[in-house]
Amino acid sequence: MISIVNAYIGRVYKEFRDEILVLPSKTIVLLFCLILFLIPLMTSELYILRILILASIFAIFAASWDLLSGFTGQMNFGHALFFGVAGYTSALLNLYVGLPPWLTIPIGAVAAVLAGLVVGVPCLRLRGPYLALATLAFPLILTGIIYIFPDITGGELGVSGIDPLSGSRLIDYYIAISLMIGLGFIMWKITGSKTGIIFHAIREDEVAVRASGINTTKYKLLAFCLSGLFAGIAGGLYVHFMRIAGPTSTLALMVSFQAIIWAIFGGIATIYGPIAGVFILVPVTELLRVMPEIRMLLFAVIVLLVLLFMPEGITTWVRDKIEKECPRCKVRNIATRKICRICSADLD
Amino acid sequence: MKKVIIGAIIPLAVCVVLLVTSCGGAAPGKVVKIGVVGPMTFIQGEHHWYGAQLAAEEINAAGGVMVGNEAYQIKLVKVDSNEIISVTDAANAIERTITVDKVDFIVGGFRTEAVTPMQEIAMDYGRIFLCCGSSTKELCDKVGDDYDRYKYWFRVTPINSTYLGKVDFMLLGMVAEELKAECGIEVPKVAILAEKLEWAEDIVAAAQVLLPVMYGMEVVGTWRPSDTATEVTAELTAIEAAGAHIIFTTFSGPVGIPYARQWGEMQIPAASVGINVEAQKEGFWDATGGYGEYETTMNTYAPGVKITDQTIDFGERFVEDVGEFPTYCAGTYEALYVLKDAIEAAGTLDSDAVIVELEKTDYTGTAGRIVFDENHDVVWGPGYVTGLGVQWQDGEMECVWPPADGSWEGVVYEGAVTYELPPWVIEAWAP
Repeated sequence: MISIVNAYIGRVYKEFRDEILVLPSKTIVLLFCLILFLIPLMTSELYILRILILASIFAIFAASWDLLSGFTGQMNFGHALFFGVAGYTSALLNLYVGLPPWLTIPIGAVAAVLAGLVVGVPCLRLRGPYLALATLAFPLILTGIIYIFPDITGGELGVSGIDPLSGSRLIDYYIAISLMIGLGFIMWKITGSKTGIIFHAIREDEVAVRASGINTTKYKLLAFCLSGLFAGIAGGLYVHFMRIAGPTSTLALMVSFQAIIWAIFGGIATIYGPIAGVFILVPVTELLRVMPEIRMLLFAVIVLLVLLFMPEGITTWVRDKIEKECPRCKVRNIATRKICRICSADLD
Repeated sequence: MKKVIIGAIIPLAVCVVLLVTSCGGAAPGKVVKIGVVGPMTFIQGEHHWYGAQLAAEEINAAGGVMVGNEAYQIKLVKVDSNEIISVTDAANAIERTITVDKVDFIVGGFRTEAVTPMQEIAMDYGRIFLCCGSSTKELCDKVGDDYDRYKYWFRVTPINSTYLGKVDFMLLGMVAEELKAECGIEVPKVAILAEKLEWAEDIVAAAQVLLPVMYGMEVVGTWRPSDTATEVTAELTAIEAAGAHIIFTTFSGPVGIPYARQWGEMQIPAASVGINVEAQKEGFWDATGGYGEYETTMNTYAPGVKITDQTIDFGERFVEDVGEFPTYCAGTYEALYVLKDAIEAAGTLDSDAVIVELEKTDYTGTAGRIVFDENHDVVWGPGYVTGLGVQWQDGEMECVWPPADGSWEGVVYEGAVTYELPPWVIEAWAP
């Protein structure tokens, strides 16, 4: 029995050493996750935990945009729709039916999946700027619907009186970061799977994918639904953490655009890029509060400067500095290596 | 490589500098720290800040706040909630000011969707929050529903949405009387024109039901344009075709400007009265190119109108410092005095003790006598805060309600003038 356990531990360690420690980018991700788990031991500042909780929620949201728009190339300018549909569904179920957050959040996410279908079906024939403009319209339509039924939705005032996520900031924090890491990992694995490769291929050349006998319609709809699912979880978490679901907080154009800014800043078609983008830009936005008059200007300057010098996003830039790809087998190696760790090809 | 280093170093350096500056040391000496929360890049936040600043300067110059036997200086913390654009930003801002700036009290708040989470956070920390911007009644109803949690919440200005509705109907009644006197119209026809927002729903519903039954008026129709509409000629044409004598407005959004301009330009033969937040601002006359003349709306202040002994002086000093006439968000001025009196009476900064004294408040400020009801909401009525009805006459914002003849509960404010019907309305309907 002991020998089996030892063998298992040995195998896990070997995997850990050969798959994670061997690459600086994966090591950084691991350290980042570890630090996130340890932060409550280093500070009891509730405000810092609040910012990190919101960053975690927005990281899921931004990564879900990347899954759809970054990988599949289905440019979605109305990603707030998923966030808002799930947010309002969770809030209304909690307020009027009395369901607890652990039920309302998944149900809200399912509602966002349905919203993904509703958006996906009419938008399937559209591409590029036409698709972007069509998706932009959906949150505006939902906002209009919210204003038509103010007795239920609260109109412009929103729905308040919602149950908090857990009632404890520390528990909220661990829920948020665990979900962010878990869902981020799932999204990353999806993009590395066969489905993810097809998403990639659709973005690069949809006609070629269809010519290969793949039903691209099915995969594009799948991308909309998956993206809606993850964005929906983020939306449900958000309204229970903020204790309000309103049109400005969940459906405004700014909410959609923020996801795009975070994703492009971090590096699109990576999943971890948007997460990094959120975890850099959200704290920076808070730090800039010391200069309220020029806060948004400084924010824009920082984003522009980074994108000027790192046009593919900050994570891609960093990864390319610390790692290099083998020209023969395409496996990544630490930048200091002279020969590939897999095929021994010359890396220089 | 050099470019790369610059690209990485500059943002990093900016962050480090900001981090260092944001962790500044505590203020020296005995101070009462008050967070002034508002959208500081908008007029509402600016007036929150200037109103509070004016009061803080006066109080500090007069020796500060006496807490027991010690004089404390007021230190204001400017908190940009950015609430008109981002609710998340507003909630973060208030938690930051409580936990990082360590403010003792909070004043301000404007937009209900953002004020709601801000209220929750302030209550979580047991921090006294004097609201000076949102009229939503439900914010104060929570105090009655769950006193232990929401007892830290008070509203200083404006009067709540129910009272706003009452004043609104009184203004309408005043215009109806004038139509009867000038044009002999016994049963005025009223067109309800309200933006399609939740806060207007109750007013619209009440108007539809009460105007025929209680006020003997005929409702000819209800029109609900968007709060951001830039064109309302279709609605105005329909209102004219419906034969309305009065347009009963409910506008908080920018639609108030194109509405008033087009109403004046087209000379729609119906007097306009109700709530038009844009018409409460000094820039209304220029924004409508003068076509907003005779537009009538509720307001808190009006130039040259003496609600109390403090009003004129406050208005003049505000204009001198800020360059524009105060809006109701400048009620942070009163909030600071109310707070000062409560702290001095309590002899401590402890929230529970200060709440006891705040509940006893009976303070005559710039907009009237401030007394809080059981829900910590400012009381409205004769002898308390009443609000004003103002009309644009010849480029000036004039107070026309409470009526200058004292016909409303004997309340008369010095500087009030008589309401005037637009001449084209008289021309259209006079026998």
